[in-house]
Amino acid sequence: MSELTLAQDRTTPQRDATPSELTLERGLAAFRAEVDGPVAAFFSSCVHCGICAQACPFYLETGDPKYTPILKLEPLRRVWENDFTLWGKIKGKLGLQQQVTDEMLTEWEELLYDSCSMCGRCSMVCPVGNDLALMIRKSREGMVQAGHAPEGLIAASVRAIKTGSPMGLQWKTLQVQIEHVQTSSGLRVPVDQEGVEYLVLLSSMEIINFPEYLEAITKIFDHAGVTWTLSTQCFEATNAGIQIGNKDIAAQLVERVVAAAQTLKVPKVISPECGHAFTAIRWEGPNLIGRPYPFRVFHIIEVLDELRASGRIKTEGMETDRLSMHDPCNLARKSGVIDQQRNLMNLVAENFVELKEHGKFQWCCGAGGGVSSNERAEPLKMAAFKRKKAQIEEVNPERMVTMCATCRTQLEEGLEEFNMEIPVVGLTEMIAEHLVEKN
Amino acid sequence: MAAPKTTDQTLGASLRERGVSRRGFMKFCAATASMMALPPSMVPAIAAALEQAKRPSVIWLSFQECTGCTESLTRSHAPSVEDLILDLISLDYHHTLQAAAGDAAERAREQAMHDHAGEYLVIVDGSIPGPRANPGFSTVAGHSNYDMLMETVEHAAAVIAVGSCATFGGLPAAKPNPTGAMSVMDLVKHKPVINVSGCPPIPMVITGVIVHYLTFGRLPELDEYHRPMAFFGQSIHDRCSRRPFYDRGLFAKTFDDEGARLGWCLYELGCKGPTSYNACATMRWNDGTSWPVEAGHPCLGCSEPRFWDAGGFYNAVSVPTSPSGAAVLAAGAVGAIAGGAVAVSAKKETKAALTHRQPVTVEELEAKL
Repeated sequence: MSELTLAQDRTTPQRDATPSELTLERGLAAFRAEVDGPVAAFFSSCVHCGICAQACPFYLETGDPKYTPILKLEPLRRVWENDFTLWGKIKGKLGLQQQVTDEMLTEWEELLYDSCSMCGRCSMVCPVGNDLALMIRKSREGMVQAGHAPEGLIAASVRAIKTGSPMGLQWKTLQVQIEHVQTSSGLRVPVDQEGVEYLVLLSSMEIINFPEYLEAITKIFDHAGVTWTLSTQCFEATNAGIQIGNKDIAAQLVERVVAAAQTLKVPKVISPECGHAFTAIRWEGPNLIGRPYPFRVFHIIEVLDELRASGRIKTEGMETDRLSMHDPCNLARKSGVIDQQRNLMNLVAENFVELKEHGKFQWCCGAGGGVSSNERAEPLKMAAFKRKKAQIEEVNPERMVTMCATCRTQLEEGLEEFNMEIPVVGLTEMIAEHLVEKN
Repeated sequence: MAAPKTTDQTLGASLRERGVSRRGFMKFCAATASMMALPPSMVPAIAAALEQAKRPSVIWLSFQECTGCTESLTRSHAPSVEDLILDLISLDYHHTLQAAAGDAAERAREQAMHDHAGEYLVIVDGSIPGPRANPGFSTVAGHSNYDMLMETVEHAAAVIAVGSCATFGGLPAAKPNPTGAMSVMDLVKHKPVINVSGCPPIPMVITGVIVHYLTFGRLPELDEYHRPMAFFGQSIHDRCSRRPFYDRGLFAKTFDDEGARLGWCLYELGCKGPTSYNACATMRWNDGTSWPVEAGHPCLGCSEPRFWDAGGFYNAVSVPTSPSGAAVLAAGAVGAIAGGAVAVSAKKETKAALTHRQPVTVEELEAKL
């Protein structure tokens, strides 16, 4: 015990009066802290096959080999080799180590942020089972601490912590939308109701760009007799901390959701449609805060499919045009929500055609993982979209359906950029339009 | 099936004729390179070699077997092997797949042996009643399996034994081995024999061996049992998806307990993963869907010699068959101490790294703007 205390005394960084700042040294310490059993196993298993490149839309659509996923991980790999392997230590003695420098990280900033949406397709195809997306997430921890995160993501994280929304949105903006919804639907949007079944969380994008989403769930929950509420304490649950790659920021944002859910004593929480918000709160959350949730987390699509299965959603009429669907990476590949959206599609669409690669092997829209909050990455984001575009052209639908606000925005912008007149609709909204009217 | 005359056509031409795109072809080459752990820079070399290669004539002999190996091969999956597998080679003789029957079928074999003497490949599935067994135990077209094998391999370039029966004798050779069954490598001594074991083997391994042969003009590196190292170099256990549970000492005790439901290690239920070498855990089955251990059943060790006679399928590998000596305990203790020391030192390093990590504040981030 006493030895442990001593050891800690020796290693605790000194916090003096000068304002702390993000430095290379801190970055390297953060990289080191991210090296664990899986990371060591992954790096020592890599057989340099390059198959991850074949899975990456950023590499495929630019053809630039620097976008090979495993190369994006070079800073983390060097830290692992230098500090955690015998060979690296011997190299160190001989002065042969390749060091991670500030210049290197400057160069890698583009590789780790601009050219990666953490879609996880590379992790799926790796023949030795390396989870590359996880290591990108871990590498970003080091990048933030070294002061090499993109400005757009830093600004979003600061706004998320200070204002509660990465876009700087406040409750009063949502209040305006709530009033619109109440007027147009004739239904009440419950706010701060204790003891209901679901706490519904939103993303700023849904509030600003797609207010019809809130109207849709208001209608569906009224139809199915589900009790729910919004919370003034916490209405936003996207997690800029996950995208920039910092667990301290990310944990604070998760704590807000937990606090709001506990105040309202809800047993279930519905994440925003946004894919990364869902994985953040559904999968990373309890690990970030270091304790289990007193509630369960669902994506709206999971909830709707459960209502469908239990016969609580009655629909009428079918969409007759040719529809296809984009699976958000975080929902399908990372969380296994694949059948649910298809069940719902079949409920209301009679001419639904799958993209060739869909479900867990779908292609990313190119905007996730913080790419869309990083203005500098715009050209790369559009380049990566070409993969999705080619997929859409293959089946030539009249409309695209999806269930993530970021994917939807990217699809709309991308299709417009390439002059393809294919509207994009949200699945939840489409279900709401087909509800059997109550007398 | 391809007619023998198309053997003169290059593989590139044959694929184009079949409508395989350049892209599909390159993907196949890249996937093959990675499967065999060759560097990506080899992909163009593989493509160039395959493009120019004459499809080798292949004679497939089936002896004491259940056709499971052929079933496995014809159900091979990505990357589009189902189309490519038969285009890679000129399969001139195969009981199950060929259209010809009777004398015509046997003539096809003789024709191939004559036209491509010294160049054709022989693939064998099934074990063979040995030279001292009753030749009538298994015959094809009136020839005993032994005679047919020896006659066919005489002028072959190499022999690929497919499946555990052909490689190690398999089920027919299990005790008491009533037919005197023997493996190909027991009988064929003067030709190179490559063993692709497994019951059935992974189809991509067969393709991989053929591609390697076409590209480099020689056979791949083999292990002590003549199996290609690229596929049989690592144990099932080392690549198992349940390995983390083994490392943490979490074992399912029965097939329906909590541990089984939580996906814990199947070691105590008799998993032979630690002593079995095969690529199931990484390549998986049925289009990469799953594989036995992932599906909840212990590995039987079907790619290992004499796996039928290696004790019960559901006995744990380390359960001693005879009373264990103190030496074993002592060795175990030394191992545990050494392992523990390594683990402690690794943990220490990680702990130290964690204490060095400083939390990020929003002010620090803001200073960067």
